[in-house]
Formats: sequence, structure tokens, C-alpha cells
Amino acid sequence: MNKQRKYRPLTIGDVLINAFMVLVVLICFVPFLYMLALSLSSPEAIINNKVSLFPVGLNFEAYHQIFTYPNFFKAYGNTIFYTAGGTLISLFMSALFAYAMSKRFLKGHKLVMMLIVFSMFFSGGLIPTYLLISDLNLTGTPWAMLLPFALNQFNLIILINFFRAIPAEIEEAAIIDGLNYFGILQRVILPLSTPALATIGLYTAVFFWNDWFNGLIYLNTQQYPVMLFLRNIVNGTAMVGDGAGAADKSTIAMSIKSAVIITSTLPIIILYPLLQRFFVAGLTVGSVKG
Amino acid sequence: MFKKKSAFLALSFVMLTSSLVACSSKNNNGESASPSPSASASSSSQASTTPENAEKPLKFSLFYSDNATLPFKEDWLVVQEVEKRFNVDIDFEVIPIADYQTKVSLALNTGNNAPDVILYQSTKGENASLALNGAIVPISDYSDWTPNFNAKVAEFGLEKDLADLNLKDGKRYYLPSLFDKPFYDGGLILRQDLLAKYGLQAPKTFDDLYNVLKKFKAENPDSYPLTILAGPRVLYRMTMPSFGISVGKNGADGSRTLSWDYEKQTYFPGAISDQYKEYMKFFSKLYAEGLLDPEMADPIDGDKWSTKLATGKSFASYAYYDQIGGVEGAATEAGFDLQMFPPLEGPAGAHHQQKSRTGAGVMFPKKTADRADFEQLVKKIDEIFFSEEGSKIWGLGAEGVTYTMDGDKIKYADEIVNSPNGIYKTMQLNYGAGSDVTQLVWVNAREMTKYDENYSQINATVAAMKDPIQAIPPTPMFDDMTAEEAASLQTPLYDTFEVWADGFLTGKKSLDKDWDKYVKEMQMLQIDRFTQMYNDNLKK
Repeated sequence: MNKQRKYRPLTIGDVLINAFMVLVVLICFVPFLYMLALSLSSPEAIINNKVSLFPVGLNFEAYHQIFTYPNFFKAYGNTIFYTAGGTLISLFMSALFAYAMSKRFLKGHKLVMMLIVFSMFFSGGLIPTYLLISDLNLTGTPWAMLLPFALNQFNLIILINFFRAIPAEIEEAAIIDGLNYFGILQRVILPLSTPALATIGLYTAVFFWNDWFNGLIYLNTQQYPVMLFLRNIVNGTAMVGDGAGAADKSTIAMSIKSAVIITSTLPIIILYPLLQRFFVAGLTVGSVKG
Repeated sequence: MFKKKSAFLALSFVMLTSSLVACSSKNNNGESASPSPSASASSSSQASTTPENAEKPLKFSLFYSDNATLPFKEDWLVVQEVEKRFNVDIDFEVIPIADYQTKVSLALNTGNNAPDVILYQSTKGENASLALNGAIVPISDYSDWTPNFNAKVAEFGLEKDLADLNLKDGKRYYLPSLFDKPFYDGGLILRQDLLAKYGLQAPKTFDDLYNVLKKFKAENPDSYPLTILAGPRVLYRMTMPSFGISVGKNGADGSRTLSWDYEKQTYFPGAISDQYKEYMKFFSKLYAEGLLDPEMADPIDGDKWSTKLATGKSFASYAYYDQIGGVEGAATEAGFDLQMFPPLEGPAGAHHQQKSRTGAGVMFPKKTADRADFEQLVKKIDEIFFSEEGSKIWGLGAEGVTYTMDGDKIKYADEIVNSPNGIYKTMQLNYGAGSDVTQLVWVNAREMTKYDENYSQINATVAAMKDPIQAIPPTPMFDDMTAEEAASLQTPLYDTFEVWADGFLTGKKSLDKDWDKYVKEMQMLQIDRFTQMYNDNLKK
């Protein structure tokens, strides 16, 4: 990995490319910095437009306030649980499904593929889905968050194609060595698929982390994920029905909105660099030795 | 090797724990699975034959709409007090306000997982058709069970307002919140200290306002004296009634392009009326002379709005009294003093945004009527929210804790009076008193004791004016077909109105030259037929 590279003289192209990349990094990074600064500034400074990238009139009031919201930490715990549990279940089920689907000699795999693709574009709609989950007695239990969304068609297709790309010779060798299919999946295929699993794991984790809608419709107050809190605080004054006006009446301080955004998105962002090393690893590194 | 094992272990652990959690949560919500409602029902109906003190509390579940500015706490004084005093055990299902309607809609549409009681609802919009299709209990059929509610309606003289809430089948499907007098809670807000500084009188008419803004602009050429909160809709809804119209996104009747003629008691096409032309003349003049904030087309959220006023980029706005404090607290200029003023007089008199004297209230899903103790439940709800005792708790907290009575004057506890948040906000945050969701009886004079002298003064001034806050126009009784047609006419009319309104205001379109073309376009889109539909379907 870390081979010593010979230095060559910098060209104008290198400078331009590097400058451009720095710009891209800034575009992604500055909004966060601004949010962080807002969440740590005093309300006066914010209203008087004094805050740019660094906090003015440092105060932790905003954080203090959201930490005292009833159920905030409970909701935070729920989200971590849904994300961890959901991602594990999802990877487990997707891997089993995709491995079988990657074998073209299986009868009916074309039909199943059709079903997968069909359900990608057409769904029953909100109320039928709700009735289904409700009739399965999942409402009000964490399973309503974890099970219905454990299989994502898009991720499945990625995984199926990834498994198909693994050379058949490796599997044949494993069969000769006396492994059954479960053994092959566990000892050969999955270790070779870390990049794909990491990618899908990240997608799934982000999905579960950000998912507020299913939590809202299926769960009880005690089980809400933290994103519902965030939503309620960031556009929580949207009012329906009566009293045109109540919506414009009560506002939540910008510092609190920012603090909530920071606290609820930071963990999932930190996850990314940790998975980074899996993305870089090559496809069949170390399987077939040259 | 080890990694894989641990992954499998972790997975089985997750599955195991979540199944445990699932079990425990099932036991906690005695809603869907466990037979507790019927159990408690039979026990409490038996209990009514036993002596009073042995009675078990009546248990019911309830949807509560939670606003992030006033986060619900189970241990609020008002909740504890009500549960104790009325011997009930309320299972609060707290739902974020932004998604409240979604949750309610699902519960009513599917009938699954519906609570016994839903707060903060009316039969506007989708609920009307849900009601007519039998998803909601027609509570007006059970008026014998709601004596406290009936008494309050009679006391406030709201019989007619209540009749207006009946749907096409002549039934009412919810118990609305009741107001004895509408509040003047927002309106023209401007810098009083600058009026004194420039030797100006407080504005009484829209022409006065023009002169005041003109002076502000002359003294501060870089400023835009009048800014708006949120979007143009707020300015429109608060100022149009003085010109005899109410159109746009927040128009009083919801038609968006029609207005109600209070004298003739009919609808007329407000969007193409001379009154509207007059209105636009005035505001486009402000715009052209740089007296009106050119950013008003985009939403100006609360923070941005505060910034404009606090930093002297603007000096006046149409907004709410509650918001003054925040701006004053942040302003650095010496003597900075924002004040709210009574409605200004326009060609049609001095009026503020129309208001209804009934608001969102209590609704019972169909399933609740199947409870054996349904009668008992309705009577209890009536008592909790509409009796003198109950409504006082929701509004003022508990006597002896949050307030004491000195003769007929309310005296709040010292810690509340001295709190930096002010009485009204402290009562809300610390005790849960005065939440829109649970307080269903509003007595203006009683509410005013929660505010500073200044606010009650303004309210008293406004109350003495002639009809400052008009009633919301009557809603036509459409059946499903007509409603469909009306909706299909409404959307293109409103879209066209919006485009032209923006054009007239900013001067991109001329009121003299292009007006006829605009009227023709609206007539092409059948605004007259739309008006006819509204008038034909009024309750006789």
C-alpha cells in the first residue's frame, strides 16, 4: 500500500487539481463549520449578524437546552439501536439472498429478479403498507423499523453483481476442499466482499439513521428516533389547519436548530472515515496469488 | 475468523434484545394487544355502583400535538393536577406537530391504532370527508353528555359559530376550543422611539403609515422601513381586511381568490375587485419608493426578520406581539423600543385579520364509541376541558401553586412574576398551562393577566373599536363532486393570482395598463363560476 513514491516536479496541472480539490473540501466542510459556530454563539451575536465561521460570544445554552428536551437521549439511544440492529439484519439477509441469486443455474432466479426489479418501481402505497405492518402486529414494536426495510432492492442488485464477479474458480477450489455452500459463503465469499459489504452497510446505516417517517407512523412516543426530534425542531412550527398565523408566530432560535443538526448528524459522518479503508481495498486482493 | 464470529454473535444479540424490547413494549402499550381498555371499562362501570372513593381511574389514550417551542412533559403540574382531580389516567401519545396530521390521518383512515381521543383537530380538509364516511364520532348527537361545553357555548354566545361547524349532514364532529373574544395578538409593529425622535404621531390610517415610512426612509436612506415576516401572506392577511378584501394563501375563507362581503353576506371575486386594485396601488407605491423590503417575495424566517429590525435595516413590520421581546433583547441601539399598534384604517374601515371564535378541539375516532364506558368517557372529557374547574387548570395551573385569588383578581406566584421569560412563557414551559392543544376555553380578560400592562392596554383599545376583528366567512357546504370541481378551479386561479400579485407589487406589471388583461385572464379561468359555486352552496 504505502510504497515510497519518487517525487516529480510539481506541474501547473497538479496545482490546479489540488486547488480544485481543496475547494471541493471547503464546499462540503464550511456549512458544517458555520452550523457549529451558530450553535455555540450567543443569540445577540446571531441576530446582529456577527457570526461567520467562528463562534461569537461563546455559550453552550443551545446544547444545554436540547439535552434537557424530554426524551432526547432516549430517542438518541433508539436511533443508535435501529441503526446498528437494522444494518446487521439487513447485511445478513441481503448476503444470503444475493448469494443464492448470484448462481445463474438456479431455477427461477430470473423470476425472482423480475420481482425484485418490479418492487423497486411499484409499491403498495402508504395506507396498504401501513395496514400490512399493522396486521402483522409489528406496530408499536422496534421490528416495524427493522424488518420491513431490511432488504433494499438497489443494494441487493449491487451485491448480486458483486458476487457474480468473483471468479468461479475460487469456489470450485473450495468445493474440492470439501466446503458446502454455507461454508463457501462464510469463509470465501464474504471475506472477499468487504468493499461491497462496507458500501452497502454504509448506505443502510445512513438510511436507518435518517429514517424518521417509519418511526413516526409505526412507533409510540417512547420509541421515536432522534431524527423526528430534529424535524420537529427544524421545521416544527409548521402548523396545519386552523389559525393561519400560528405557524409564523412561534420561532425557534437558530442556535438551537444548529445544535440539533450538529448533534444528530455528526455520528453518522464520523462513521464514514472509519469505513474508508474498506472502499480502497481492491476487489480480489489476496485471493488468487499470482 | 474471530471477526466473523463476533459479527454473528452481535447479530444474534441484536435479534434477541430487540425481541425482548418488542415484548416489553407490547406490555407497556395496553392499546392494541392487551384487553385492558375493556377490562378497565367493565371494572369502572361496576365501580360506579360502588362508593365513590373506591372508583378506579378512567383510563384512555390521547393524541397530543407537540410543538418544539413548548415540549410536552408528562410531569407538568397541569397534567398531574387534572389526573388527580378528575380521577383519570391519561396515556399521552406525544406527536411532533410537523407530522401530526399524517399520524392522525393514518389512524382515522385505517382505523388501526387509533387512540380514544384526538386533540387539536377540526373538520377542515380531509377530516370532513373522513367524518362523512363514518370514521369520526358525530359528537353533536351526544350533546346531553357535554353539559359543560354547552354551558360555555351559551355563555360566550357562540351558538351561531357552532352551527357553522356542522358538516353537510347537519352534524358536528368535534368539540372546538371556545374564545369569548378574539385576541389582538399581532399587527403593525414599529419603532416607537423613532416616532418621538422624528416628531411623528402614531399612525391611524394607511396614509399616516405611508408618511411615517417616508420619514424613516428620508432619515435612513439605506434602509427599507417596512419589512415582512415569513412571506407576503402575513402582510396580506393582516392588512387586506381594511381594504375590504382577504385573498391570497391565507385569505380568511380559504378560497384564495374570493372575498366575503360582510354587508351583503355574499362572496365576490376579491382578486379582480376594485378594492384589490386599490390595495395593490398602495403597496406598489411603497415598493416603488423603497419603503417596502424588496426581499419580501422570499420567505424571511424569524431569525432573519429579527436581524433586520434589530440592526436598523427596517423599522416596521407586521408580526406578533410575542416576537417583540426577542428583537428588543438583541438590539444594541440605545432607547430601542418596538411597539404594537391597533389596526390602521383603510377604505373599508379599520380591521385586522379575521378570526374565528372557535378553534381546533377534541375529536373521537369511531372505535371509541365501541367502548363500554363511552358515555362515561365523553362526560369526563367534557368535564376535564370545558368545566370551570378544568378549564382553569389548563389555563392557569393549580390555585395555591401557580396563582392565588385576591378577591376576583388573579395573583401569580412570585417566582413566575419575576421570571425573565415573563408570566405567559413561564406558565407554559414550567407548568404546561396555556398550551393551545389542551386549553379549550379562552377568556380574553383572564389571559391578559399573563401579559404586561402594555399588551392588555392595546387589547383594550382594540376591543373598544368597531368590529376590529371580523368573523371568518361561512364555509360553503360542498358535496364530494362539487368540492372536486371547486378545487380544480381554485388551483389555476390562485397560481395566476400569485404571479400577477407579484408583478403588480414590484411594478413589473402596471396597474393602469395591464389590469384589464389580468381581469380577462382570471375570467377565462372561470372566477365568476367559482364565485357562483361558493354562493350557491352557502347554508340557507
